[in-house]
Order: sequence, then structure tokens, then C-alpha cells
Amino acid sequence: MTAGSLRQYLQTLETRKDLHRISEPVSWNLEASAVTMLANTEDSRIPLFEDVDGARLVGDPYRGSQRRPWDRIALGLGLPSDLSYEEYYEMVIERLNDPKPPTTVGTEDAPCKDVVETGDDVDLLDFPWPYIHAGDGGRYSNLHTLIAPDLDSEWVDWSYHRSMIHDGETASVLLLAGEQTPNLYYYKYEQHDEPMPVAIAIGVEPAVQYTSVMWIPTGRNEAEFAGGLKGEPIELVECETNDLRVPATAELVIEGEIVPNERRDEGPFGDYFGYVHGPRRSMPLLRVTGITHQQDPIIPFCVEGTGVGYTENTTSSMEVGCVGPDATLGLRTAGFDVECCAPWKSTPRTVYTIATPSNDDGYLHELANFIFTTWGMLHVDFFIFVDADVDPLDQRQVLEALALHADPDEDFHQFGVETMPKVPLNIYQTPTEKGDVQTGTSKAKTAKAYIDATSDGDGTRDDDVEIEYRAQEILESAGVDPEKLPFVDPGEGGR
Amino acid sequence: MTTLRQQLERLRETDDLVPVAERVHWDATAASVAAEATRHNCPATLFEDTPGEVRLASGVFGGPDQFTSLDRHPWQRTAQALGFDPDCSYETVVERLASRTTAPTEGSPDGEPDATPLENVDLYGLGLPTSDDGSPLVSLGVLAATRDGVTTWVPIRGVALRNATLRLVVPQVAADWLGPQADASVVLGVGAVPLVAALQGWTQDRITPDVPGLTAGIGDVSMATVDSRTVPSSADVRIDGGMTVDRTAPEPSGPKAAWERSCETAVIDMSVDRIATREEPVVAFTPLGEPLTDDLHLVSLVEAAQLFRRVNSYWGVSPVEWIRLPVESRLGLCIVSSEILYAGFEWQLANTLFSFSKLFDKVLVLDENADPTNLARSIDDMWVKAHPGNDWIFSEPNAPSATAPRYRQDGETGSRLYINATWDPHWDEEYIAPQVTFETSFSENVKEALEERWEELGLDELVESNDR
Repeated sequence: MTAGSLRQYLQTLETRKDLHRISEPVSWNLEASAVTMLANTEDSRIPLFEDVDGARLVGDPYRGSQRRPWDRIALGLGLPSDLSYEEYYEMVIERLNDPKPPTTVGTEDAPCKDVVETGDDVDLLDFPWPYIHAGDGGRYSNLHTLIAPDLDSEWVDWSYHRSMIHDGETASVLLLAGEQTPNLYYYKYEQHDEPMPVAIAIGVEPAVQYTSVMWIPTGRNEAEFAGGLKGEPIELVECETNDLRVPATAELVIEGEIVPNERRDEGPFGDYFGYVHGPRRSMPLLRVTGITHQQDPIIPFCVEGTGVGYTENTTSSMEVGCVGPDATLGLRTAGFDVECCAPWKSTPRTVYTIATPSNDDGYLHELANFIFTTWGMLHVDFFIFVDADVDPLDQRQVLEALALHADPDEDFHQFGVETMPKVPLNIYQTPTEKGDVQTGTSKAKTAKAYIDATSDGDGTRDDDVEIEYRAQEILESAGVDPEKLPFVDPGEGGR
Repeated sequence: MTTLRQQLERLRETDDLVPVAERVHWDATAASVAAEATRHNCPATLFEDTPGEVRLASGVFGGPDQFTSLDRHPWQRTAQALGFDPDCSYETVVERLASRTTAPTEGSPDGEPDATPLENVDLYGLGLPTSDDGSPLVSLGVLAATRDGVTTWVPIRGVALRNATLRLVVPQVAADWLGPQADASVVLGVGAVPLVAALQGWTQDRITPDVPGLTAGIGDVSMATVDSRTVPSSADVRIDGGMTVDRTAPEPSGPKAAWERSCETAVIDMSVDRIATREEPVVAFTPLGEPLTDDLHLVSLVEAAQLFRRVNSYWGVSPVEWIRLPVESRLGLCIVSSEILYAGFEWQLANTLFSFSKLFDKVLVLDENADPTNLARSIDDMWVKAHPGNDWIFSEPNAPSATAPRYRQDGETGSRLYINATWDPHWDEEYIAPQVTFETSFSENVKEALEERWEELGLDELVESNDR
């Protein structure tokens, strides 16, 4: 069954003995994140901190296993637990292809309205925002849905931009021009000297959280796609201090406005690629106008920087389990023949692998060009194209393709050396190159590259799936753990 | 002493061997089961019931894909098979192999070989696994032959052409050294030490015909003498006969062994006079051409050891911490971790490695504190630490083609690539981004408090809950 709220999702984890309750008091000041990092590193249960200054925190609730990063995301969608990645991707794509319009409920039916605080009652510091890494610029809310409307239409964007808490009423929000919500702010609201009304919904139901990290085309209703993922309409409720609607089952909602031409410090931060990037920079200011929340709210957070190498966290798992299927669908919708588009499993966002049956030079260039100018513009530096029978989530297979089939002479394609935009969330540019630019992007431009690691028919396997299947049966009979074996049956599409 | 049988026993004791009791034919079935086992990181496989004279084992010197686990390393089974501590570090394995110590074998070859001659068994009757065209395969063994009283062991790959003829590929220099004809033995079912020593003797920068001496330098291997040739006494199968270098013969069918990509090769034919086996003989084989095969593991370590020795003896200093040719890349990529002595040293280092090995045309340069056991982080650094434009450096297109990749196999020249994922020595210290780790992310106070509160927070239960 699809989880209809974060609480329901956590209950499901607990039923599966996959939740670790810590009832002893725990500090938001590095202690909760230290325990969570430990759990992430050990690939163990999800820690729920039940007493953190009177509220609750949950650390990396959607982290998947190292071998199957999509596991807990699938659980949140009520999908079977033993799906292969191909099956999982296709099921998510199927749901995204069946969007369902949201419904609006009254305040009395919205758990996120259990407590309503506006005006002088608003105090962000009433809540235990975690201080995640020593060296971070401050305390963060970094696992939430930022809801912001277009200035010129009915479109409302849902996205995922971390916010650094400054005091009881303000926070700085990481807005990097080039992404949808930041563009609305920098090139519409700020240019008209208008504040952008926003809501930050924290502890939302799984389908909403997953949709927030997907690149939903401009103009499309994100709540409909969340409804598609959920399999039923998302319930929304109106905000108290602006006209936005927010998911009714959210644990906590911060209402406010991102004001024009005002900036506050943001960062440094231990970020998704596993390093603490700096320096501290200026980001737009969020002024809070209201806070509503459930009784005893649960605030989820992500220990960024741990989703690299052999360790997963919520961001890295959502990159595989949410962004991957969404990107695959997007490329297919754009007319590209793509088997699967998935991130390099051990470092989210910087590299994607695309399995495609075509190795035509012009086609691959066009495909890379399409992505680099759309959703892959700011964070993604590399695309690797591999044969359709290569599993993009199997790093061994992708590295092999890269080593054996990508000819340095003709298969590495750079889009110039210093021509393309980049976010300052990187470690290969100096602070001077990054600058502190008003729109959040780096001052210095950078390069993007794609790598053609398709085989051109040289040295590819001539698989006989029946023989492989029989061989795997023999191994299973001999006692090999069947989890190790894919059992791909051409007649059944997998076991 | 580490024989194949001892290695199998240790694998069994550590639950790293799966015995296949089901009858498996030595036709392509055994090879396909072995290929699936290595491809999917299964334990080593012992085929207990095959129709031929020998039992077959695969994966005994290989190991898992390192992307799948931080705790299990691709070189562990090899280290164990070499008689090293299986938990020893990667650097220890490479440094020991890099020493290329030769030890005297005098006195030891006097023993009797364990294998005794069989009657009425030919090459097909042995039941070696077959290639796609039905020819019995020879993959993990050595050819023993003597010149001027010196016995050498030579790496081989080949097939049985007929009941009593083997066609084998050997290193060209070995064929030249042996001369056009010689009496010889092919020994199968041997441990890793003779296989590694044969690679060191004949496929590297230095030729060392005294491979039994190299073998003795690596580990204690008992030796015996057959028709004046020294052979490993514990070999499960020995095929005696006469070899002839045939410069016109086509190469044996089937995929190449990994070592064939590191040296020039020649073809020999061997007429078989006698086949000897031990009781219930076992032969190790590997499904050539598949991922993660044993031959890839052995060549990976031997080549890395050679490169480590050469680059650290080249400039009067030893800046290189470690070198790996990941088996996951099928030897098409070299990763080197080194102190960057001065600006531009990374260029010098990468191009020296290109000069010293013909296998790869891609080198990834990492800082000296990179962890050789963490392949995932090494490759991550390639993506996030190297500037995608400035730090991916392509040579001009007249470099010789590498042998591991599948492109430009006709020898056409092209570019090489090295990726500089080291910190720029010009950068101020404050520019260097710290890694997010448990050690760096939390103050000593936090770590101490956590330790003190370990029990009350139930952290034992938390960290031990990994059953996934």
C-alpha cells in the first residue's frame, strides 16, 4: 500500500523492523547527524529521534541499501520489495504516465494544521533544525518540498532547495539560477521587485517528496504527478498567509516569502558529492510569515555527503529511485530511444549513464546536447552512453564499457573548455572562480562532456539468455544465494 | 606451501567455495556456469561431478567486483592462494610481488611428482572444459621445458586440437628462448604461485627464465623432476610430450587470456606422449573473455607490481603510494595514487605509466591519501574532483594503441587520456575541500559523547541491524 504520510511510511518501516527508535534525548547539534551517518555507513535501520528539544527528527528516511538504492523508495510507493531495477523503473514510469489531479481539503481535515502560528507567534527556533556537519555554515532544513508559484500563470513549482536557518523569522535559501524555482525568483519576482510567496512543506508524504526532486516540465502540475506516483490524488490545503496550497499530511509547513534584493549568508556545507564545498556565499532571504504543523512533528533530514562511495543516503537513493526513472521518461517523451537513464550510483548528480540501442554519432551528440541544455545544465558534468544491454546501475559494467570502448581519440566529447554554466557546489573551481554571483551560479564557466562508451559491435557479448539462465539455476541448486543472480528469462522478463 | 588443493580447502573453510554436486558436462555448460559465477560475484566453484577424468574448479584465484563491497577485495583470494595473509593490504601484495625475489630451488626438485601416468586416457578423456567450437581448453597452467639445464615455466593458453595434440599460445620471447623444438610438460591444477611467477618471468620488462626460482621467491612450492624438467610436484595433471614452435599456425580458437595482451605471442604445438594425474584430480580453469576472470586478477596484480617497482625506482624518490589496474575495467584503466612532487608531475607520472605498459591508454591520477580498497571513492574523485575540461588531458593522436581496449586493434595510433584528480599544488590550503567523513564531520566532543551514550542510544542494535 502506498504510504499516505511520512508517519505511515515510518510505521511501515517499523512493521518491517527497519526503524530504530531512540527515545533518549538527542541533540540537534551534530549528535543526531552523527548517529544517522553511522546508520548510513553501516547500511542499517532508519533512526527516529523521538526527543530532540521537544520535537522529533528522522535521519535519511528514504536511504536505500547499497545494492538496491531504490528499495525504501519503492516501499513508500507500495511497490513490491523484490523488483529488479528495470521493473522498478518501468513501474514508476507507468505511474508518472498516469497523473491524478489533487483534491483540496479543509483545514479541519489537514493534519498539518494541528497547530497554526502566524504573526508574532512565529519562531523557527522552536524546532530542532539539525546542525549536520562541523564546518557547516549553520543549521539546515534540507529534506523538504519548496512550493513556489509562477508570477505570470497558474503554474506552481515543487522543488528541493535547502534552507539555512538564521533566526526565528528568516532563513537563506539555496537558489541557483538555471533551475525552475530559482529562475522564477531571479528573472521574474526580483526583476519586478516583488517578493515570491513560498511554502516549505517538511515531512511530506513519500510521493510528494519524490516528485520534488524530479524535473517536471514547466507548466505541468506537479501535484498531479505526485498523485500519479501515489496512485490516488494528493490532498492539498490552503496556506494561512498566502494563496498557495500545500500537502495536507505534511508534518510542518513554513509559509513566507523570498524577498527581492536581499541576501543572507549560506554555506559552507558538506554536500552531495562527498566534500565540504565553500566558501560561504550570499543567497536569497526567506522571511517567514507563518508556521503550521502536526502535533509532535517529525522533521526529516539528510546527512549530505554520505551518499558517495559505498554509502547511500536519502539524496543519493532518490537520485537513483526518482530522478533516474523521471529522466528516462523525459528522454523517451522527447523522442530518444533510451533503455534507461540512471546516475552513477556512488556519486549522485554529477554523472549519468544512458543505455541506448543507438550509437550513431549525431544521435548521441543531439541527446547530450538536449540534456545539457535542459535538466542536466547545472549539476551534471558527464554523460556516459553505453549499449542497451549494459546495466547503468552496475558500476562494474559501466567502468568496463568506459575502459574498453571509449576511445580517447574519438569518443570523448567536450562542449568547450570554459563555455558552460556551473553551480558553485563543486570542488574543482577556486573560490575566485566561483565568485559570489547574484544569481547563484559560478562566476567562471566550465565544461561538460559526454563519453561514447558504446561498443560499436567490437567485443560485445553474444548472450544466450537460456544458457545463462540454466547456468544460474545450477548455481542456485548448488547453494549460491539467488539474490546474487539476475535470472533474466526472455520469456518472462525476469524472475 | 600453497597448492590448488590447499587453496580449495581454505576457500571451503571460509564459505567461499560452492561445490556443484549436480552433474555438469565439460562441454560449454561448465564454462557458462563458471562465467555466471564470476560475473555475479559468487563464491569459487568446484564441479564435483563431471564426465571426464578431472574435476573442474573456477574462480579460485579471482574475487568479487569491488564496487559491490567495501569489505571484500578482488585480490583476497589471490593473496590467499599466494600464501600471503588473506587480510593483508593491497599494498603488501603488490610490494611483495614487486620485489621479484629469486630463491634457489637447488635440492628441492628431487622429489617425485604427485601425478602418476594414466593409461588409455587422451586429451578428450581428461574432460577439460570446452570452448564454443568444442575444443578442450587450457587456461590456467604452465608449460615446463628446459634449455641448457635451466627449466622454465611459461604461461599458456590453448586448446586440444586432437586426442594427442595441444595448440598453445606462449610469449614470443619464451618461444625464442626455448628454440624450435623441446621436450616439455604442460602442468594443470597448480596453485597461484607458479602461474604468477610465469607471468613475471616472461611477460614483463625483465625476462627471467628461472621461473622456478621466481616461484621459490614468492612462496614455498615443492618441486619434482620429470625427464630432467622441474615441475611443481603437486600439479594435479601433467601432460608430457614434445613442443614445436609453429610460426605459420593460426592461434588457437577462443578468447585470449589477459596476459596475451601484455606481450608479443607465438604459437606452439605439443604432441602428447603421456598424461599423468593425481587421485581425483582437480583442474582450475577460467572462462576467458568474461568479466572478473582469474587470469585478469593475476595479470592485474603482476602488472601493477611491475609498474609500482619501475616508477618508484625511476626518479630517485618513491612518490607513488599504490597502482591498480582494476579487474573491473578489464585492465583498460590504470589508477595511481601519488604524492605530486611539483606542478606537472601528474603529467610526467601518467606518461611514464603509458611508456611502461601497453595494456591501457587511460590513467587516473589520485592524491597520495587515496584508499586503494575504496574503488568507488577513487572513481567518484574522477568525476567530482577533476575539472571536466582542464583536468581530462588528451595526448596528440600519435600514441600507440593500447591492447586491453577493443578499439584500434589494428594498431592504428591515437590519443591517450589521463585524468588529474589531484589537488592543484598552486592552490592555497584553504581551497582544499575536506572530505565528508565521520572523523572530519564531528568534533572530538561529539564522538566521545556518542561513545559514552552508545548503550543508552541502542547503537549496537542499530549498527548490527544490517541484514540487507
